[in-house]
Amino acid sequence: MLNDAEETGRVKVWDWPVRLFHWMLVVLVAFSWWSGEEHCMEWHRLSGYAILGLLVFRIYWGFAGSRTARFASFVHAPSRVADYARTLTSRTGEGSDGHNPVGGWNVVAMLAMLAAMVGAGLFAVDVDGFESGPLAAFVTFEQGRVAAEWHEIIFNAILVIVALHVLAVIFYHVWKRQNLIGAMIHGRRKSRNNAAAAPVAFAWRHLLAGIALGAGAAWLAANAPSF
Amino acid sequence: MHLFFRFARPALIGITASALALGGTLAVAQSSASTVIAKRQANYKKMGGALKTLKDELAKSSPSRAVTIKASQTLANTAKLQVGLFPAGSGPEAGVKTDALPNIWTDRGDFNAATNNLISESAKLAAVAKTGTKAEITAQYRETGKSCGACHRQFRKD
Repeated sequence: MLNDAEETGRVKVWDWPVRLFHWMLVVLVAFSWWSGEEHCMEWHRLSGYAILGLLVFRIYWGFAGSRTARFASFVHAPSRVADYARTLTSRTGEGSDGHNPVGGWNVVAMLAMLAAMVGAGLFAVDVDGFESGPLAAFVTFEQGRVAAEWHEIIFNAILVIVALHVLAVIFYHVWKRQNLIGAMIHGRRKSRNNAAAAPVAFAWRHLLAGIALGAGAAWLAANAPSF
Repeated sequence: MHLFFRFARPALIGITASALALGGTLAVAQSSASTVIAKRQANYKKMGGALKTLKDELAKSSPSRAVTIKASQTLANTAKLQVGLFPAGSGPEAGVKTDALPNIWTDRGDFNAATNNLISESAKLAAVAKTGTKAEITAQYRETGKSCGACHRQFRKD
């Protein structure tokens, strides 16, 4: 194939904090699902606090991380999304230098839904009033039950978003022959035209600040004041 | 057509009458089932609210005894009403939204044991709330909460 001859190099696309964030999120969302179904509520709460920490980190990283991690680089106007969508079936062409314009909105939806999920979970009260989120003392039993219902509804929305994401990754793999999973593991993608991509780099002080913010949010949720 | 109606009319009337009667019986059965379901659901919500009140109160550094006594008595008194609110026909087949699983009626002995467990644990809680320390009340609150969860896992649709 013509393109193979031109596949001469790999270029960096994701910084390691983004990759670590991604796979930790996969593990924790799966664990939250399992622990919730199994009524292991102590573990379920801890997992939720960890996800909260990850989300806070990722939002901070969306402003302070490497260029492909920043919202400004992947949240585009509808016209640009539509332009990109029209090229989706093309099997040639260079892989995206970061999130593509369609996938970028999937990331936004995922983060928003996960934030709503955690938010509802903080106030959720189980049917017997025995198990509850760390901020449930601030709401009535009935309000906490509504939060628990939303917690479940939003989870179904997240499952839909995850399914879309996985289908898209499979589509890119099979149809466009782009290995997005590998890129999210080792951080590099194939460069067909071998053009030198801009460096993917971040400042350590920003990483430390992001970790401190995320850990602080998780700690606050775990040690929510009850008075 | 006339001939048909001459013979068919009594039969039609008979069928209509019995259909109406049957429908009426079903409607009555359904309405009494929905009444009893609404009643027990309201009671469970009351108990859930009482357990949450206890939890929130016990999380405070110095819980109010008046609050813990009142909530634990609500729990203990309401628990006793529930066992009588599961008559035959008030399960999922009633056509009313209920999370009660059919095995409540097929494993009735287990269900009654689980309900009695709630009654005895909540009675202990009401007793300890009057005189016990915060730690003692909290320990019995946990036992009571566990009796809710144990029954839910077995007999309530998740």
